[in-house]
Formats: sequence, C-alpha cells, structure tokens
Amino acid sequence: MIAFLLLGALALVGAVVTVAARNAVHAALGLVGTLLSVAGLFASLSASFLAAVQVIVYAGAILVLFLFVIMLLNAHQPVTGRDPVPFVRELAGIGGVILAGALAVIAFSYRDPQPLAQGTAALRGGTAGAVGETLLTRFLLPFEAVSVLLLVAIVGAVALVRRPAPQPDGVTDAEGVALPGELPERTAPEGGVRA
Amino acid sequence: MPDWLAALLITLLKGVLVALALLTTFAYMTLIERRLLARMQIRLGPNRVGPLGLLQPLADAIKSIFKEDLRVTMADKLVYTMAPIVAIGMALTAFGGIPAGPPGSLFGENPWVYQLDAGILALLAITSMGVYGIFLGGWASGSKYPLLGSLRSSAQMISYELGMGLSILGLLMLVGSTAFVNIVEWQAQNGWMVLFQSLGFALFLVSSFAEVNRTPFDLPEAEQELVAGYLTEYSAIKWALFQMAEYVNMITASAIMATLFFGGYRGPVFLEGLVPGISSWPIVWLVLKIAFFLFLFIWVRGTLPRFRYDQLMRFGWKLLLPLALANTMLTAAYLAFARGAGLWPLALLSLLGLLALLALSDRVRVLWNQPTGRGAADDSFPARPLGGD
Repeated sequence: MIAFLLLGALALVGAVVTVAARNAVHAALGLVGTLLSVAGLFASLSASFLAAVQVIVYAGAILVLFLFVIMLLNAHQPVTGRDPVPFVRELAGIGGVILAGALAVIAFSYRDPQPLAQGTAALRGGTAGAVGETLLTRFLLPFEAVSVLLLVAIVGAVALVRRPAPQPDGVTDAEGVALPGELPERTAPEGGVRA
Repeated sequence: MPDWLAALLITLLKGVLVALALLTTFAYMTLIERRLLARMQIRLGPNRVGPLGLLQPLADAIKSIFKEDLRVTMADKLVYTMAPIVAIGMALTAFGGIPAGPPGSLFGENPWVYQLDAGILALLAITSMGVYGIFLGGWASGSKYPLLGSLRSSAQMISYELGMGLSILGLLMLVGSTAFVNIVEWQAQNGWMVLFQSLGFALFLVSSFAEVNRTPFDLPEAEQELVAGYLTEYSAIKWALFQMAEYVNMITASAIMATLFFGGYRGPVFLEGLVPGISSWPIVWLVLKIAFFLFLFIWVRGTLPRFRYDQLMRFGWKLLLPLALANTMLTAAYLAFARGAGLWPLALLSLLGLLALLALSDRVRVLWNQPTGRGAADDSFPARPLGGD
C-alpha cells in the first residue's frame, strides 16, 4: 500500500515535470520517470509481466526514440517563440477536460470481468499465459488491427523519408542512369513485432 | 526483531555483498583483460605494480578517485552527473535477479537478491534501461563526438534488443516459464538448453556482444572515428563509473547466458559419483560458467575487427532478426505438431540450421556487406559519392 502511494506520487511528479520542463530532454526524462513509476504500480499489483513489458517497450524503446529525435533535430533548446497555432491553450484545456471526463466515466462505470482476487491469481507466476490468452482470444481482432496500423505507420514513414537515388551530375531524376552496383534497398524495421 | 525487518536486513546485506563482489570482479577483470590481450598480442602487459601486476587495479582506483573531476562548460549539469549513476545503478540492479543456487541453499536463505515472477523479462527490462546512461551521458556533455557516439549506441542497442528478445522466445516456449529457477530446473531434468536451441544460443550470444558494446560491436567508443564516443568529456570517477557499468553489464550478460543455456547454478551430474551433492552447490558453478564467458568476451576482442556502422545495422536487421523469427517459428511449429517425438529431433534441426548458416556464410555475407560499386567499376563518375545509407 505504501509502495503504491509512493509510486503514484512519483508518477504524478514525473508527469508534471514532463509538462512543465522548458528543456525537451528534461521533459522526456520526466516521462521516463512516470512510465517507470507506472511499471512499479503494475509490479506492486503482482502483474510483473505487464511491468516488464511496460519498461521494455515504453521506457526502453519508445522513449529512447523520442530522445533520439529530440537530439537529432536539436530541439532541446528552450522554446521562446509564440505558438503559431491560435487558441492552442483553450483547445488543449477543452481536450483535457473531455479526456478527464471520459476517464472518470470509465473509472466509475468499470466492472471487473472477473473478481480481483481471481485475476491476480491468474497473473501470478509471471508467465504471460493469462495476458496472452485474453489477447489472442477475446481481443484478437483489435490486437491484429493495431499491428496492421503500426505496419501502415512504418511503411508511411519509410515512403516519406525515402529519397530518389542520387544521379550523376547533369542527369535528372526522371531520366535516371543505371548505377554501377545498385544501391541496397532500404528496409523497413519490423517495429510491429515488438509493440 | 520482527520478521519483515530481518528479511529486509538480509536482502540489504545480500545486495551489498553482490555489489562488492561485482565491483571487485570489475577491478580484476580489467587486469585480466589487459594481461590476456597482451599475451594474445605477444606483449607483456601491466606487470610492474605488485607481483604479476596484481596491485594494478588498486593503483587505477586511487588514480581515478583523486583525479580532477573536470566540469564541462557546455554540459547540462544535472544530466551530466546523473548519467554515470544511471548506468552503474542499472547494471548492478540487473545482476541481483540471477539465482546462484537452488532456493534456500545459501545458509538457509535464497541465493538471489530479488526475484520477480517475470524473471528473464524483468532482467531484459532493467538492462534495457542501461542505454539511458550512455545516451544521456553523450548528450549532456554538450559536445559533438559524444553526441554522435551516444546516438549510434542507442540505435545499436535498440536494434539488437529485438534480436535478443526474439532469440530466447523458443527457449521460453520449451520451458513454459520465464522464471530463472524454473528454467534451470528444466535444464537439470532435460539437459542443457544449448543442445536444443543451438541456433537460438548463437543469436543470443551475438546480440549480447552488441548489447554490452564489446568488440566487434564497440562502435559507441570507436576511437578512430569518435575520439572516445560518449566517454570523451568524462574524466576521473565518472569515467570510472561508466567503465564499471560496461564490465558489470558484461558479467550480467555472461550470467544470463550461463543460466539460460548452460544449466545455470547446476553443475554436471557425473561428478556426483565423486563428491555427492556437488552439482547443487550454490555459487561455485555459476561463477565458473561466468568466468568462461568473460574469457570468451576477451578472446573475441583479441580476435575480431570492428564492424562498420552500416554493416552493423544490416547485420542486425537483415540477418539476426529474421533468423531469430525463423527459430521461434521452428520451435513453435515443432511444439505444436511434433511434441510426441521428444526433444532430440528439435536439437538436430537447430544444429543443422546453425551448421547451414556457417557453411553458407560466404553467400549470406552480401546481406550486410553489399558491395556498393565504389571499387574498380567506379571510374566513370568518381567525384560523386553514391550516397545510400
């Protein structure tokens, strides 16, 4: 119980740092803190498989990619200019209120599919059995749909960043010239496997 | 003394002991590595401080503690200090989860510091946090080479984490549990896992080398290109902390390989005839196996040259990941359709896969080392680089 409260408080602190920090890297680190605290919450509810996956996927991979982008784009200087989008604060406020309302509705109308004690007992032992069974029977369609969505996102990203192969001077891309030894095809990382 | 306090104190004591053991091993590992490398390269190595150079680690420690701790003007102070602490903290935490003996075998206590149900998954999670140390250290230095080194290393570690996780999936399916103790006990009954998952082990070994940034994957600190990578701006004790983290990670990786594929804390059973009960002595067997893998790490460093960065990426994504997937599918199909045939056909299949890979290595090499036409055929337009990666 004490651990639960402590971790909850830590998660909130991290979230506040994420929003309030002026340096994008510090904000991302705050988010890492929040994600780790949430993983700790999972672990204290004896869902250690979820906790491990939370750390591996979110804190270990996705946030590293966030930081990667921040550093590559040199976006870690404090933002001083004005927001180019009008009404952004008001819109964000409205969105936040709607989200909070939705979460509150869910929190108060949620009914356990099975009693809590039973669920905890199923998760104990650390095997992914309980999670896997639910994911691949009851939620099979959403699960597969999400993986297709991720695949689409990857293909889209590759299509966006892919530049035409460089041509020798004086030759336009439209004409093209066979290069001595074709360039290796760029491959899309199979990100969908992990997430 | 109430029970919970006693349990807490014992756990604390075990934690401190493990940390001390790891740090001592690190100190002597540096000496052993330098001596061994020297021997492989027909030199002498450090042999002046104490007999056989045995006091060298002590001298190094004193030196790095009393050296000036340089402060870099452009550094982000908080993150700059935090990075080495994160690196060593995660490295030390990870090792605590590995069992060094059967439950209750260490003077009636369990020979591990903590145990989570998720076992190997939790350990992978903790080691995957170790990338933050390198990554943040490189960024916070406020300098170009460290930044480049840390970007490289994070890309490398994320890429190889995938292959690493996938390569043990077959093992997990065979055992049916992620807890270390169950994996070791399964091996005690059926034989070492490396027999049944030789392909999986080969993939895991390679990914482990990449994960701990050792030669041939030591790109984050490629001296010729990046000065010292993420370490460039660090000095004195902070630098030493990073070095510690690297070596402790190596020890952890060795322990994981020993536990998952080589029977963990259990010794060979045929020695039971000489000394009864020898195969379940705690700690001894694990330490021996770790020592073997540490030697392997040094041996490879003395043997192989470093990958080029694009070769590294192609190797990870085009060879390691598909093979790990194939291994997973093979094991899953075997378990689904031919479980009745016992485990040995699977062992044979896996071994055949590995041998085929070795035999065909000249053919598959073009996957990650494709000639890009910069050689002799390039005369027609030499001035322009072909670009690409």
